[in-house]
Amino acid sequence: MTTLTVPARPDRDASLRPVPWRRMAWVTWRQHRLTLAGVAALFGVAAVYLLITGLQMHHAYAAVAACRPAGSGTCRGVADNFLNTYAPSVGPVLGLLQVIPPLIGAFAGATVLARELETGTFRYAWTQGFGRARWTVAKLVPLAVAVTVAAGAFSVLVSWYIQPIFGAGDHNGPLYPTIFDLRGVALAAWTLAAFAIGGLAGILIRRVIPAMFATFAVWAGLAFVTGWFLRRHYEAPLITTNPNFAAPAWVLSQVWTRGGSPASLSMINQTLHGVDIQAVTPGQFQPGPATPASIDPVHYLIQHGYTQLTTYQPDSRFWPFQWIEGGWLLALSLLLIATSVWLVRRRAA
Amino acid sequence: MTIDKGISRAGGRADASSPGAGGGDGPAAAARGPASPIEFRLDPASGVPTYLQLVQQVEHALRLGYLKPGDQLPKVRDAVAALAINPNTVLKAYRELETKGLAAGRPGQGTFVQATLSQIALPELTVLHRSLLGWLASADAAGLDEDGMAALFTTALREFRGRRGGSGGRRGAAGGGTEGVA
Amino acid sequence: MNVIEASGLGKRYGGTWALRECALAIPAGHVAALVGPNGAGKTTLLHLAVGLAAPTVGTVTVLGGRPAGSPAALDGIAFVAQDTPLYKNLPAADMLHLTRNLNRRFDQGYARARLADLGIPLKRKAGHMSGGQQAQLALTLALARRPRLLVLDEPMAMLDPLARHDFMAAVMTAVADDGVSVLLSSHVLAELERVADYLILMSRGRVQVAGDVDDLLAGHRVLTGPAAGAGRYAERLSVVHARYGAAQAHLLVRTSGATDPVPPGWEAHPVSLEELTLAYLREPGAAALPGPARARDAEPTEVTK
Repeated sequence: MTTLTVPARPDRDASLRPVPWRRMAWVTWRQHRLTLAGVAALFGVAAVYLLITGLQMHHAYAAVAACRPAGSGTCRGVADNFLNTYAPSVGPVLGLLQVIPPLIGAFAGATVLARELETGTFRYAWTQGFGRARWTVAKLVPLAVAVTVAAGAFSVLVSWYIQPIFGAGDHNGPLYPTIFDLRGVALAAWTLAAFAIGGLAGILIRRVIPAMFATFAVWAGLAFVTGWFLRRHYEAPLITTNPNFAAPAWVLSQVWTRGGSPASLSMINQTLHGVDIQAVTPGQFQPGPATPASIDPVHYLIQHGYTQLTTYQPDSRFWPFQWIEGGWLLALSLLLIATSVWLVRRRAA
Repeated sequence: MTIDKGISRAGGRADASSPGAGGGDGPAAAARGPASPIEFRLDPASGVPTYLQLVQQVEHALRLGYLKPGDQLPKVRDAVAALAINPNTVLKAYRELETKGLAAGRPGQGTFVQATLSQIALPELTVLHRSLLGWLASADAAGLDEDGMAALFTTALREFRGRRGGSGGRRGAAGGGTEGVA
Repeated sequence: MNVIEASGLGKRYGGTWALRECALAIPAGHVAALVGPNGAGKTTLLHLAVGLAAPTVGTVTVLGGRPAGSPAALDGIAFVAQDTPLYKNLPAADMLHLTRNLNRRFDQGYARARLADLGIPLKRKAGHMSGGQQAQLALTLALARRPRLLVLDEPMAMLDPLARHDFMAAVMTAVADDGVSVLLSSHVLAELERVADYLILMSRGRVQVAGDVDDLLAGHRVLTGPAAGAGRYAERLSVVHARYGAAQAHLLVRTSGATDPVPPGWEAHPVSLEELTLAYLREPGAAALPGPARARDAEPTEVTK
């Protein structure tokens, strides 16, 4: 039978240009502006707190810095006083700041794809002319850039905040795990990685809440492994036999050796038995009633053939380590985002 | 309701490049003539194909004087918007009317009534009416009930049509299609 | 041009085949109804056609040979999924803006006018609209894209009768104005009978019937006659479905045309679409497909005249 066969418009398919990328800018903004506001608020609140307490600290530190002669016992005492006042509260603050990147990864990263899949709106979004792979890229990339830049700016504030603590000679230097990944490029890199992990979790798990939990868990695992096991090997650690090692560094371990092989605690105690000193641990010595007054257990052991090996990473390696860590996190993030896009392409309804 | 939307809003469509809908009927958004004198309605339970219902309604309207030659039949778009039927159905009905010579399409304007059904003179009609009443009385006397009378009439009509050579294309009526007699 | 062509199309989810051996060629300019019971594979077929799912076997192309899901296909097809997914927290105006940004073609004026006609305020969030309004909004977004093919998955499941009428009227008006082809699915045939001029009947993951409605109706009829002799005729004719009473039998047969002679003593009646559909659904082995019919079970489906 004859039918309604008039085509509605001339065929323009010869030049099928893709919908321009910039059209998605409004889409990404409109759909994720609350998320971006949340990220800004999170950093904002933290920034306000750091500013207030940081100003206090800097004010108090002025006295420490002005103390003369520098390095004398009095000035050392002033510095120790300062640290005793302020260092205890800094620890928990740093701990709380560690939570920011995975939070961003969960709330900003995991929700992008998981929510579309969970609510079914992907059946609308992925049948529009823009195309699902480009749509994914146009969402993940701008958001990734935004959270990375925000984190980068915030890390400058963190460096400013922590500076008096370092200046007063805290033994936990810049390379120490609880502070290293909040400064330099590391915070931006870790935030980007959290976002990328979130994005991939979203497309793999397809449900918002489980994806958020998974993001948190994976990020925490990765951060822990990096901080306590991986980072110390970015460059071969230095070893010194100097018992009075006091250079600014991240001390990884201190062991006693004798004759080239490690000395056990019992061996040490055997040697120290002669001066009635008990070695509780290789670094802690308990003098007994019969201990001569002027004996230093460390020197005593050295005189008896022991060597103390200190493995450390010097603080001067802060920036090289930052670039190394930032580099592999960036590569990982790009890989995760690319995988997410690839999975979106492949995914069946 | 939808009828108003169909008529009033079509003029306000921003897409001026909307072309005609094929056949002889073109909903030109700019030039809207007066609305058709008749409106279509649909009886979904009647068992009669939709397009045939539309044809019958036009013929009925012609007989009763609602439509005169020169009147415009409802635009395809309006009929579709009011009844929620396939535009092809309306086109099919209009083509059937064209085949019968009752209507003609003017490109870009619509479909218009062309002729009337042959009018039978009133006295002739009265004679036919009376003889039919007589036949009904005989059938009643023979014991046929109303359904029986209708069935007999339908069978005879089919026979008569078959002998005359039925009008082409009427799938519902050609061949063996009738309402079966239980 | 065929708006959808499928060849040997099949889709498996885990261990279950949702769709098997599907061969279709739906011509343009039609309103095609995809009908079948729940679980027949209608949604799967639609998702394959719009590129939301990838075939396990076989191919599906749209709009004259474009691969399903390709940019060219996405451009010309507008899809409204089941439950009309919309971003619930976005107002209608933003949904319009969103759809405009995601497509090459979008008739903003038409969309606004339609929404105004329907009384849907632009500021209302999609989540605060009634089911009917959401469906109309989703349809507006789809039609404003000026697609060549409109695909609707059970669009009226959640709608009351008035909303259903308005929805279908809107779709048919778009067909009348733009000549857009339509493919819509439903498990209720009655609501599609008035609008469909092409029928695809699916059951248990297979396409049983596919063809122009007029051709299908012309190609089938019911023969009513004495049950005693029915078996004899049943062997010679292409019987789709038979019903036997004690004395009377009805045979729904495929014919080669209206001029097939009626066996003496039998009457022939035309079939309605509903009767036809039910008959095929009751006979899973029967099929009425364009082109050579596949040999299935014991039912002869090929016309042997």
